[in-house]
Amino acid sequence: MAIELTMPRLSDTMESGTIIKWNVKEGDAVSAGDVVADVETDKATMEMQVYDDGTVSRIVVPEGKTVAVGTLIAVIDDGEESAAAPAAPAATSTAAASTASAPPPAAPAPAASVSRGAAIDAGPRMRVSPVARRLADEHRIDLASIEGSGPAGRIVKQDVLGAIENRTAAAAPPTRIETAVALPVPAARAGIAASTTALSAAGRPGSEVALSGMRQTIARRLVESKNTIPHYQVTVRIDMDPVLALRKDLNAQLATQGVKLSVNDFIVRGCAVAMAEHPFMNASWAGDRILLHGAVNIGVAVALSAERGGGLVVPTIRDADRKSLRWISEETRELAEKARTKGLSAEEMSDSTFTISNLGMFGVEHFTAVINPPNSAILACGAALEQPVVRNGVLAVGHEMQATLSLDHRVIDGAMGAAWLGTLKDLLEHPATLLV
Amino acid sequence: MSATAVREIEFRDALREAMSEEMRRDPKVFLLGEEVAEYDGAYKVSKGMLAEFGPRRIIDTPISENGFAGLGIGAAMMGLRPIVEFMSWSFSLVAADQILNNAPKMLYMSGGQFGCPIVFRGNDGAGGQLGSTHSWCVESLYANVPGLKMAIPSNPYDAKGLLKTAIRDADPVFFLESERMLSMKGEVPEEEYLIPFGQAAIRRTGEDCTIVSFGRPVHFAMEAAETLAAEDGIECEVIDGRTIRPLDLDTIVASVRKTNRCVVVDQSWSFASVGSEVAAQISEHCFDDLDNHVHRVHADDVPAPYASNLEQEMLPNPRKIRSAVLSACYRA
Repeated sequence: MAIELTMPRLSDTMESGTIIKWNVKEGDAVSAGDVVADVETDKATMEMQVYDDGTVSRIVVPEGKTVAVGTLIAVIDDGEESAAAPAAPAATSTAAASTASAPPPAAPAPAASVSRGAAIDAGPRMRVSPVARRLADEHRIDLASIEGSGPAGRIVKQDVLGAIENRTAAAAPPTRIETAVALPVPAARAGIAASTTALSAAGRPGSEVALSGMRQTIARRLVESKNTIPHYQVTVRIDMDPVLALRKDLNAQLATQGVKLSVNDFIVRGCAVAMAEHPFMNASWAGDRILLHGAVNIGVAVALSAERGGGLVVPTIRDADRKSLRWISEETRELAEKARTKGLSAEEMSDSTFTISNLGMFGVEHFTAVINPPNSAILACGAALEQPVVRNGVLAVGHEMQATLSLDHRVIDGAMGAAWLGTLKDLLEHPATLLV
Repeated sequence: MSATAVREIEFRDALREAMSEEMRRDPKVFLLGEEVAEYDGAYKVSKGMLAEFGPRRIIDTPISENGFAGLGIGAAMMGLRPIVEFMSWSFSLVAADQILNNAPKMLYMSGGQFGCPIVFRGNDGAGGQLGSTHSWCVESLYANVPGLKMAIPSNPYDAKGLLKTAIRDADPVFFLESERMLSMKGEVPEEEYLIPFGQAAIRRTGEDCTIVSFGRPVHFAMEAAETLAAEDGIECEVIDGRTIRPLDLDTIVASVRKTNRCVVVDQSWSFASVGSEVAAQISEHCFDDLDNHVHRVHADDVPAPYASNLEQEMLPNPRKIRSAVLSACYRA
């Protein structure tokens, strides 16, 4: 009996998935629990298991292909009844199998159902070439809004490409803004742009990079964040000498136990502990109300190497306010390592209530970060730089770190953010408090 | 390939070199057919081979295709490696029972006891005012049969490399040459090489439309592609299948996924043909990548005319191919 494998919904926001790798080929035997494929979702590359024993009779979606949730990707034959009905009509046998034993297919992705619905509603059957339909799905173009140029009004690839181009042009009004400001400025800009173009034309050729699922998600979520959240920033300088001294002592004393605390571990712990006095910092805007979260789950931004396609993931340290420094350190290291090698599961990246982005290891002094929805705040940490500092009215040499909060003004007002930063500064400048 | 200047030889010389090299290499290889020995071959393909290999290995046969094809099959079953030359594949029709009913099925019918490592080769296709009965393109008719392989080179280099592979193959190979191409010259290196079956060659790269073809029409496809690039701004990717069985579907599919459009050029008739098979495979494997149905250019569905102008019009030609590409790209 044929069991249909469909693209699973591996995260709440997943609408489509890419088969990165098949671990089986047609004809291979599989057992329940076997990992048959690596699937890239909008968040991560995840392992896909099978729930039945059988033989892979067909692989429908090849490696590298992206399909909507619920799409048939492979067929497994469980060996039952196959002798009884060897040549049964495929449609009836697979339909029966999918209702009988395959997991119910997830609801179709909203974008896809919108365009299909539109196609049905458009009176006489809408004619669309397959690749035009696929492109429209991928770019969320409503087919009903396109006039087909093919025979009998068929919408073809060129029509969808035109619609994508028009939308891009419509969504980018920079030329109007430039003409609106004083004349010399756009002229100068135009000059720069022209000379840059000339340079690149003469030098290195440009190229296109296909968007990975992760890159699409980063783009979508951060544009959404910047477009909907009224961001503002608050910065403090934190004396890091106490943390650096304590870290040195602890790492020396606990070296034999494999403990190697990073400065970031102290910051994670500090942020988590600071939440106790400032519940609005650990909150989400929910449209008609504000959600104050009970758990303190700290997201830690991890950059991925260019060899793995680059990008950024945010693993979550759950209940960081209730975990020791050592625990936080080990968990962060394990999650970062997994992110860079195997990829994280959706669960490992979900439910954060606050996020930290640390570019200190690159020597960055100061930067601002974009809030990671549905968080209401993100902390951007620079390096603990050795520099002239004033201590008790005397000029000395010390290590200071600039920490910049980006805040959602709908949830957190300036004074609230400043107060939280004061608490964090106090904790990090007296780090023994982080040990208890 | 070595860095030395590559020599140019004719298609017929390339075929002869392939046979002669394999006969020197393997004493079990021999050639039989009408006029292959004393007359040096009806088309001079086997010129000089009688002198080198003698009458035991270069064998003139009576005009009896059914007889000598069967003789070859018997020899192959007993372990020899015959090359059977049909002066024209049109004449192979009288040997249909041997070449279709015996050779490709022998391994299966004998339960694996007898293989049939034989090469049938000769001129295929119209184009020389030979009339309906002598202008057969047999690829679609014969490719339908399981158990055989089919190679159809489009140039001297491929002719030699594919024929050497054919002679060493354990299965019956139908090797389709073209009388119209025997004098074509092309670069063929001195040193030995073989071309594996099932590996198509991309003759030209392009982004807008894939043209899949086999044998002589590959040249028409190339000509059409150059016109399309110059006159219409359409860049075609031209794929030379080189073998029909096995078919290099991977190369075809990868190209169509890129271009989203495809024209198949097959010099045989369209109904139940190599062209319809390729179109069906593309529909199956590239459905969501297609911007239009697969267009096909075939010989017209009539017996080959004798009149030269009608014959040229009946066959696939660059004008028909260009027109099909324009239609596939919605530019017609």
